[in-house]
Amino acid sequence: MPARADFWSDAGAKYKGVVLHGVTESTPPSNYIKDVLAPEFEKKTGIKVQIETTSWDQMYDKAIKDMEAKTGIYDMVYIEQDIIYAYLARNFLVDISKSLKDDPSLKAPEFDETHFTTFANYFKNAGGDLFGIPMEAFIKVYLYRTDLFNDPKVKDAFKKETGKDLAPAKTHEEYTQIAEFFTKYGKDNGMELWGTTAQAHTGHPASWYEFFESIAPTYGVYNWGIDAANNYAASVENGGQMNSDKAKAAMKYWLHLRDIAPPESAASTWTEVATTFAAGRVAQGLVYGENAAWIASDAEKSKVVGNVGVALPPTEPNVLKEVEAGKGYLGYYDGGAFGLPVTSKNNEAALLFLQFIGQDSVQADWAIAAPRITNTATYDDPKVIDMDKKLNGYYTMLKDQGKLFAGAPPFPFHAQVREATAPIFYKILLGEVGPDEGLDQMAAAAEAELKNLGYRK
Amino acid sequence: MRSNTVGWLMLAPTIAILGIFGIIPFIYVLYVAFHQWNPFGASSEMIYNGANNFRRLVFDAEFLTSVAFTMKFAFFAVLSEIALGYLLAQLFMREFPGRGFFRTIHTLPLIVAPIVVGSVWRLMTTPSIGIIPYLLRSWFGYDLNIGRDATTAFALTVIMDIWHWTPLVTLTLLAALLALPKEPFEQAQIDGANRRQIFWHVTLPMIRPAILATVFIRLMDALRTVDEVWMLTSGGPGAATRYVGLHIWKIVFPKTDYGYGAAISVIVLYLTLVMCWLLYVALVARRERKRTF
Repeated sequence: MPARADFWSDAGAKYKGVVLHGVTESTPPSNYIKDVLAPEFEKKTGIKVQIETTSWDQMYDKAIKDMEAKTGIYDMVYIEQDIIYAYLARNFLVDISKSLKDDPSLKAPEFDETHFTTFANYFKNAGGDLFGIPMEAFIKVYLYRTDLFNDPKVKDAFKKETGKDLAPAKTHEEYTQIAEFFTKYGKDNGMELWGTTAQAHTGHPASWYEFFESIAPTYGVYNWGIDAANNYAASVENGGQMNSDKAKAAMKYWLHLRDIAPPESAASTWTEVATTFAAGRVAQGLVYGENAAWIASDAEKSKVVGNVGVALPPTEPNVLKEVEAGKGYLGYYDGGAFGLPVTSKNNEAALLFLQFIGQDSVQADWAIAAPRITNTATYDDPKVIDMDKKLNGYYTMLKDQGKLFAGAPPFPFHAQVREATAPIFYKILLGEVGPDEGLDQMAAAAEAELKNLGYRK
Repeated sequence: MRSNTVGWLMLAPTIAILGIFGIIPFIYVLYVAFHQWNPFGASSEMIYNGANNFRRLVFDAEFLTSVAFTMKFAFFAVLSEIALGYLLAQLFMREFPGRGFFRTIHTLPLIVAPIVVGSVWRLMTTPSIGIIPYLLRSWFGYDLNIGRDATTAFALTVIMDIWHWTPLVTLTLLAALLALPKEPFEQAQIDGANRRQIFWHVTLPMIRPAILATVFIRLMDALRTVDEVWMLTSGGPGAATRYVGLHIWKIVFPKTDYGYGAAISVIVLYLTLVMCWLLYVALVARRERKRTF
């Protein structure tokens, strides 16, 4: 064998000419893989990587169809944190840890599973084996406009109106007050400005997720209000929390915010919430962290560059203590991994690519292009430290307070329960059914679906 | 005998393609429709459950609502497209400066992919940035928000469909009108018929087959519309634009209820066939029967 420069060229020589196909959601981290990491990998190994970035729905649709039908079109699929349990239940994925142990010649010297943050635990089975290389990991944070919050004129007006000093909210009551103030302030001053974002699409699951993953937990309703240990109970009568008083209070709080949010909120998914904030149309909001970097630093896309503050989401007074004691979480730790379907026809070459994107050395630039951190070493990189300042401490928050957030509950029936309850949820948004009655119906629908699926006995 | 063999040989590729891509999948869907099968359930096995899926859909309010909305959508969209398409075809029959240019421009929507049409219309109707809400607010003080108003969301899906597919109707009817002989029209004029009488008694009967074929094509398309509407409204607000194609998609993919989804698909196919048959009976067969008596 001719001498080659490094592991990648040696390992890749065997697979030269192979074309790997991956499918993922079109997000900043995925686009970085497509535009930067895939070409770099090809240059080093000769293995071509074609990454298809598509909508969230299409990504699931295509990946699941391919794995279910065993067509083997994709060599890598994006595994969102909440679908991993369903994929593991269906044995769709290759055990990466085991594969690398079984064939040490494929193991890249720079790749080490222990270098991942604890977020990688979401992609492990009960035995601790890894089934996906983490590629996105971010928290959904409370962003606010520092230019508005620090503006003396605005501060005076807020003080005059509420008797309080204007500062990022810590409780729901404070958040509501600030939101109401800015919506009124915008209207009174003829500005295109509202007090809060609301991911409140009336026909897309993004709104369902905002409620169950970002709002309900701040009221102390965790895991969508479903108690897996109690025969998957969702309703209060059976021991669940989906229609509890806390959940009902959370719903009313959020509906009120939706009503004073910009008009596009009724058609906003996760993307539109970020663009609304970046367009300077809101004073504050809950925004997925993957968008924080471009909102705070990309002047081509954002009108609020340099004016973005980051804080923990507001909570009910007792919830933060509860969360700090490890009893729950106050927001969504979102993210995903790249997994290798068992149906792939190019398992070995794909394993090389997955290790390539999992190395420490590629992480810093990736974290700057899209604020996601999957490897612990990334936090200490000077470029990342510098970017952290521009983001008002977003990375520090991820590092120090990421433990207060959590991914989706380990349910293998995410989409099924969501789809069973979402139509009722949309009716609540449209005012066709009241929030209390709607949540009662949703809890009943969730239990019926769980029974239908065979989880609830 | 020999000519039969050659005929069958010529048809063989078509029959093979139809079998592989049409008949076999249909039989499989039919098979799945009689099973309970949710690969993401506690048991991923396919369990035979007789006609339970079909029984279930009779009482499924979401399904029935989606069928009702689809019918309404198909009715308004197809009727408007036929009327508008005919008027445009008549217009393009006349000589006027730039006729060729306008004919070409008019057909452009046809070459745009449905998913793109949906995206563009979504962009145009988004409250904060869309041109349509902007103009409606500036001109009439009306705040268009399809995320909140079911009626406007429905109306917009119909208008989007009309914009996209009217050119197809125009082209078909234009071809039919151009192919008509001149003599019956001249004869009618000599007999003193006015324009309305000529339309009802000469033009319409002569282009009826073309209209009927177009209605069938558009009806079938409208009944299975998914991508455009998905991009524009995602089926919302609530279920206002959750047409049956979208409903099936949601049952089969996110909900992974394959058995029930297959049953709905079979029923929707059946309903489409019934509707086309009723239309055929109403517009053609009855008339043919009258003629034989």
